[in-house]
Amino acid sequence: MNKLIQNEMLKLLARKRLLIITAIVAILVAMFTYAQYKETQSQRERLGTMEWQSLLQQQIIDSQNRLGSSRISDEWRQQLQVSIKQSQYYLDNNINPSEPGAPTFVRMFIENSSDLFIPLLIMIIASDLVSSEHSLGSIKLLLTRPVQRWKILLSKYVVLLLSTSLIVLVTAALAYVISGAVFGYHGWTAPVITGFTVEGSNLNTSGVKLMDQWEFLLMEMGLVWFVAVVVGTLSFMLSVLIRSTAAGMGVMLAALISGMILSNMVSSWASAKYFFMVNLKLTSYLSGAAPPIEGMTLFSSVSVLFVWLVAALVVSFTVFSRQDVY
Amino acid sequence: MGPNGAGKTTTIRMLVGLIKPTSGSMVVCGYNVRTHFTKAMEKIGCIVENPELYPYLTGKENLLHFARMLPNIPETRITEVVAMVGLEARIDEKVKTYSLGMRQRLGIAQAMLNHPKVLILDEPTNGLDPAGIREMRQFIRELAEQEGLSVLVSSHLLGEIQLLCDRVAIIKNGEIIQVDSVKNLLSSQEKMLWKVDPMERGKAVLTQLTDVSESTDGYLVTAFEEKEIPKWNVKLINEGISVLEMNRKLPALEDLFLEVTGVGGSSIE
Amino acid sequence: MIHLHTKRVRYITIFASIVCLFWLFCLGWAVQDYYSAASPIEIKQKEPEKAVDTGKFSLVALGDSLTRGTGDESGKGYVGLVTDDLKERFGKKISVHNLGVSGAVSSELKNQMKQKEIKRQLGEADAIMLTIGGNDLFQGGQTLIDIETAGIEDIQEKYLQNLKDVFTTIRSVNNQATVYMIGLYNPFIELEDNETTSSIVREWNFQTEDLASSFSDIVFVPTYDIFQLSVNDYLYTDKFHPNKEGYKLIAKRISPLIKWEEEKK
Repeated sequence: MNKLIQNEMLKLLARKRLLIITAIVAILVAMFTYAQYKETQSQRERLGTMEWQSLLQQQIIDSQNRLGSSRISDEWRQQLQVSIKQSQYYLDNNINPSEPGAPTFVRMFIENSSDLFIPLLIMIIASDLVSSEHSLGSIKLLLTRPVQRWKILLSKYVVLLLSTSLIVLVTAALAYVISGAVFGYHGWTAPVITGFTVEGSNLNTSGVKLMDQWEFLLMEMGLVWFVAVVVGTLSFMLSVLIRSTAAGMGVMLAALISGMILSNMVSSWASAKYFFMVNLKLTSYLSGAAPPIEGMTLFSSVSVLFVWLVAALVVSFTVFSRQDVY
Repeated sequence: MGPNGAGKTTTIRMLVGLIKPTSGSMVVCGYNVRTHFTKAMEKIGCIVENPELYPYLTGKENLLHFARMLPNIPETRITEVVAMVGLEARIDEKVKTYSLGMRQRLGIAQAMLNHPKVLILDEPTNGLDPAGIREMRQFIRELAEQEGLSVLVSSHLLGEIQLLCDRVAIIKNGEIIQVDSVKNLLSSQEKMLWKVDPMERGKAVLTQLTDVSESTDGYLVTAFEEKEIPKWNVKLINEGISVLEMNRKLPALEDLFLEVTGVGGSSIE
Repeated sequence: MIHLHTKRVRYITIFASIVCLFWLFCLGWAVQDYYSAASPIEIKQKEPEKAVDTGKFSLVALGDSLTRGTGDESGKGYVGLVTDDLKERFGKKISVHNLGVSGAVSSELKNQMKQKEIKRQLGEADAIMLTIGGNDLFQGGQTLIDIETAGIEDIQEKYLQNLKDVFTTIRSVNNQATVYMIGLYNPFIELEDNETTSSIVREWNFQTEDLASSFSDIVFVPTYDIFQLSVNDYLYTDKFHPNKEGYKLIAKRISPLIKWEEEKK
């Protein structure tokens, strides 16, 4: 088994997929860093101050004004109300929710990329792990070795898990290194509040905890990793089912994007919470944003994702070990 | 051997476990391919259709890759098979830089890694130039003789089979029509050509003795029956017919093939 | 060379496995921590760093949509215009906190004043501007429809009580900054019943000014007269909020009144 994993790893590295992904991440992080830098500058300009309290207060006021507008959807209104209450809580306790520095940037970047960007990167790898062997034709050599088919697939899946782990790490590391050059590398121990529970538009602060930013960051990374693994597994399944890499990627991309759209409009369709796509934003449970559908919790989302993951694995292994190869 | 679409590749795919037979079973060296897949595969080295190795790896990396999928292949074996196929000079280069013939040889090298008892080659000379074809043919024969293994070759190139193989099975529409050694198959179809004068009378005499047909270039054609031929000859001479020419003709496999499969020449190279 | 390659693959594989386990641990930690009982936290109350007076002039604006600048397509409103003017006059940077919330009524403002950060900003302010009451009185035009039953007196009484609290709070955190209380105008002056509405607004302003005068340094800035004659020239298309010109006139009223202490000296 070890040797099989090495084989798959060798092929992955030889194709320089990880390098390409690293490059993509680096470019994006640089862009976001610049955007963030510009944003802070213009805010300072506008308010004539750089105290975070004033900036946060202004954000609250801005949100309150947006609430006053009659044109916003109920959904959005609820989310705004929750975020206002949260900001207010930070303000009341004199804790800066976005302590300047690279760790905060990493946190923001990871939170915002958890439901589309990172899954996309994983898809680059997952969606052709199997189908590329088909398109190359090498599958015929691979499957006529004295090795059970499930072992071959398992080695590929293990490599997917490993590369997912690496990609998540690389994304965080690059975000830290690049943004640190602009914002400074401090801020690991900045306090972060977690444990908000959202009930409709109410924010329950009875269970809040305070932790260092590095702890919070690691927890978020764990969740982001899990999401990446689930999306990776699903693309992996498609890679087994659909022999064309492009088609597999297309299907997965459509699913992810529909998830983003659905998350913004499914609040009244309760059974939509069983779709994997609306459960991808796990980090919002930690930071205390309203879930897309009322009643969704961290546990329910993780469970839903886990069921999808297991189902995808069952389908992948059954199909792969039985399918005829032409 | 069989025309395109006869079921050659399908048979080989079933033999190496790539596809399931709808009925029946495949047994390799005593192991059922479906129930004892790994045991059976340990006895087999194969190339199904083209040897599709990983173009982004070097030749050596490809061999290492496949060696790791086999039990207990020492590093020295890789050097051995590389030498066997004569790829020492280019083995550390990426496969995408190889010519088709080199890929074919690298494919055979990987098939030979596990000291197979059976080497299965699907259309091994497909796409090669004439020199490459000859080289490959020679190489396969050498391999069979030196390594003492059975080589199963599928082909629709009849000349190739005639030169390469000892036994041949002719497949058509998924059924084996005939299996025999090449020699036997051919000799059963041996013909005798007669040039006689006058032809009409000669034909009349021979017709009394056996089936006779007339070839386009003025020969009378009968079956080749070693014991009967002298008698027929005497009879002709006794009848006052001069026998100008007697030719024993071994047919090409192609003729045999056409005759057996009843397929027109259009699909045969 | 080949061996190096194989080794590199092995190292990366091992490294990736460790990373993989680490993330798995983090995932477990996150779920466990999320569901573990909240330890009663004492949030370390960092003392808000005493704001160093950077030599900036700090302007705080409180209130409703007028403070927000609704109706001014340039988005500035009277706050922005006053700021521009002060910048020019003082030749310094000015920090502006616009805390106006569209639709705010006096009771909401009173609640907003309870927030620590707002108090802090007010404490640091050199000048405070305030618009409130328009939404209490007009209720988005509701009052107008039913003048008799709306119970103006009741509304006014509550408003004055709230406003008194607001003023008290401001003075409790900052007894130096001048407060500019901006009065109401009658946007409905050209409609029927204008006599009734005008008298209500005048009464309202009178009471507000009266209350303001009971505090030190609270300046009542009237706007009634600005909109009295040609109200439609200065109203936005919603016929309720001022337009750009309207805001300009309001700003022109307030801005000259604001002096910087250093300037005063």
